[in-house]
Amino acid sequence: MNVVILKNNLKEALSVLGGIKRENTQLPILKNVLVEAKQDAIYISSTDLEIGVVYKTPGKIIQTGSVTIPYTIFSQIISNLSFERVSLEMKGSSFLITADNYKAKITTIPADDFPIIPKVSVKHDQSFIIEQQVLLDALLGVSVACQVSDFRPELSGVLFHFKDKQLHVVATDSFRLAKQDVISKKVKTDFDGEFSCIIPLRTVQELLRIFSGKKQESVTLVMDDNQIMVYTDQVTLVSRLIQGKFPDYEMVIPSSFETELIIKKEDIVSALKLTSSLSNRLFEVRFEVDESMKYIKLISSSHEFGEGEYLLSIKAKGQPIQTSFNWRFILDGVRNIKTEQIFIGLNNEQKPSVIKIPDETTYTYVLTAIKSS
Amino acid sequence: MELKTLWEKTLGEIELQISKPNFLTWFKNSRLIERNPETGAVVVGVHNNFAKEWVQSKYHKNILDILQTFDNTINRVEYIVLTGEALEKKIFEKEKVDKKTHSEQQVGFIEFSADPETNLHPKYTFGTFVVGSSNELAFAASVAVSKEIGKKYNPLFIYGSTGLGKTHLIQAIGNEIIKNYKGRVRVKYVPSERFVNDVVWAIRSKRMEDVKNKYRNVDVLIIDDIQFIGGKERSEEEFFHTFNILYQNNKQIIISSDRAPSAIPTLEDRLRSRFEGGMIVDITYPDYEMKLAIIKNKLQEKNVFLSDEVCNVIASKIQRNVREIEGIINKLQFYREVRGEEVGVKTAEEVILNTVQQTMANINPNHVFRCVAQFFDVAISELTNKSRRKEVVVPRQVTMFLLRDMLGMSYPDIGDKMGKRDHTTAIHSYEKIAREITTNKNLNQKIVLLKEIINKNTSS
Repeated sequence: MNVVILKNNLKEALSVLGGIKRENTQLPILKNVLVEAKQDAIYISSTDLEIGVVYKTPGKIIQTGSVTIPYTIFSQIISNLSFERVSLEMKGSSFLITADNYKAKITTIPADDFPIIPKVSVKHDQSFIIEQQVLLDALLGVSVACQVSDFRPELSGVLFHFKDKQLHVVATDSFRLAKQDVISKKVKTDFDGEFSCIIPLRTVQELLRIFSGKKQESVTLVMDDNQIMVYTDQVTLVSRLIQGKFPDYEMVIPSSFETELIIKKEDIVSALKLTSSLSNRLFEVRFEVDESMKYIKLISSSHEFGEGEYLLSIKAKGQPIQTSFNWRFILDGVRNIKTEQIFIGLNNEQKPSVIKIPDETTYTYVLTAIKSS
Repeated sequence: MELKTLWEKTLGEIELQISKPNFLTWFKNSRLIERNPETGAVVVGVHNNFAKEWVQSKYHKNILDILQTFDNTINRVEYIVLTGEALEKKIFEKEKVDKKTHSEQQVGFIEFSADPETNLHPKYTFGTFVVGSSNELAFAASVAVSKEIGKKYNPLFIYGSTGLGKTHLIQAIGNEIIKNYKGRVRVKYVPSERFVNDVVWAIRSKRMEDVKNKYRNVDVLIIDDIQFIGGKERSEEEFFHTFNILYQNNKQIIISSDRAPSAIPTLEDRLRSRFEGGMIVDITYPDYEMKLAIIKNKLQEKNVFLSDEVCNVIASKIQRNVREIEGIINKLQFYREVRGEEVGVKTAEEVILNTVQQTMANINPNHVFRCVAQFFDVAISELTNKSRRKEVVVPRQVTMFLLRDMLGMSYPDIGDKMGKRDHTTAIHSYEKIAREITTNKNLNQKIVLLKEIINKNTSS
């Protein structure tokens, strides 16, 4: 192998591969990245056997070949280099990194020992092409509601549910649920049926990390029973899927509310921040709408420190209501709504409440009230 | 063969061929899901796609080869990914039946089973050990060791003939230490045969480190029947190093054997001298009173009643092996239950005679001659001729002693067998040896060893 590559391209490649977990691995080779010089480009891959990422980058290929080298050392060297061009060469069993006044020789492990990153065949019916930003927004919007622990494995991921030409992206931790719909004109697919899969939270985080701030392009998603492949021209990510039955989210989303109100996003954010400082250990904030239907009162109280109240003017219809929420859960939902006005549909303790954009249903954030004992 | 066992065997072979990290990464949670006897195809489930790709491309040939050695009808292996629910469901269905019967079998045996970590059997304690003049030194040393491990007598070497309670005593030390130190020390009990097996396994699978860790990582190492390690060079060497490391770190070592270190012919000198550097105590045959005490103890333990006369008979008739006492009591209890009447002296005598004779039946005088001649390295003819050379006199007397002692032959018979000697010669020889073994330890040792050889060779 003998290639010349721009340092910034290499740096970019290594930063994309940076999210792979390399610690605590039983297989020493997983600490390495696979560098392959093929006829068309240079491919750098890394995997932790749950997620595998392949990055393709241009370069001048003098001789093809492949080898694996330790990620940490490679990335430290490349990120500290100040030269523009880097030459990578294999000599015997050593890997030579050469720049203008710098050279390094790194010991290697043969590429044969590197795990094969499985590919999902692209011919598969279940392939979807989505604009990058749309995918990122959807994932960002719902992933806050993901369950972080392993308590129920099926909840520690994001559901992709394709139905009636629409993609529903859903996450829940059984206290709240977030759903983002990607409308049919933004999803290109030949698939015409119903399909769902659960993508692990860590994979979602990797996708967000890899694709945020990249130049805009379309992302292709292909799934089979066990894995998903997400790829662009440059990056390919393969991940396992979570097996399990995701709860029926449509049942959870309420269609009617006791009280419906429209509120300024700015107002409720500052109200929550103020009242939260005096909330109790359950992060409880009480919402009260009185008979006048002109104000909502946010009340917090803690046995130790005292209590606070915040009065907000609203537009509301329905019944007067009193109910309590975890303020952090409310804030998570509110933050994901980008409009100035927010719709909140309140229900009593038996039924969950909803936060969304007024007169629109693409993003829905459902949360349950704290039951007063 | 069942799918599960077939796959376990296959994994066992694969494990030997590839490194441990590789094995754990790629074959963890793998299983054989189904076998189609008609097409000869088997389906292997692995835990993710990475494993599927890798196993398929790197180990497929090995797996097929190994499977074929167990079942030559297999000609194709397919791989699928099994995760989460699907896996659990499949496993659950397949194992539901096995598990149920398995767990039911386990019930009731828990109390008697040995602790898997220490291998110690909880039934052996100091409390149930009967102490008498023949074993009081060994007992005292054991108690001292259990109170202060690694300091007083290290190593503690206990030897004595079979059935005299060596295993009981050394396991009791282990149990007592666990009780005294309340889990702050790691105790390990192994029969030396197990040790040898471990070493053999380690050599075969190139996992010497595992064995080293297993035995060097303890505070108290108890090795039973060390004599079996003699002649197994690699095991002896391994044990020698283990011994040194433990000894240097003030860890307690307790060893039992059926004879003194100096009397184990195949034991290497360096091991022998190390054993002799500690405390060596022997357990000899119990005297009448002690046997009586053991009988009473056993009766109480088993909740059986036998009259004092019967106890007396047993104590006087059973000469050597304490284990035989237990056997006799069990038999008498059985007789009593079957016949529904109290056991009398006569029945007891019959039972004892049957038991004891069974072990004696196969020994004949010629066999004794052969063993003695071989042991003392003299010709068989020399035992019976008239030569009065010093080298043959003692073996000749020993032969006569053994004929009387083991076969219960009459003196005239013995004289006749020994080359037409007078019966008084036989009497003299028997009495001389009988007298000497009480004072001459060396000779006693030889007699014990000889008896063992004689008994062992007939039974095999």
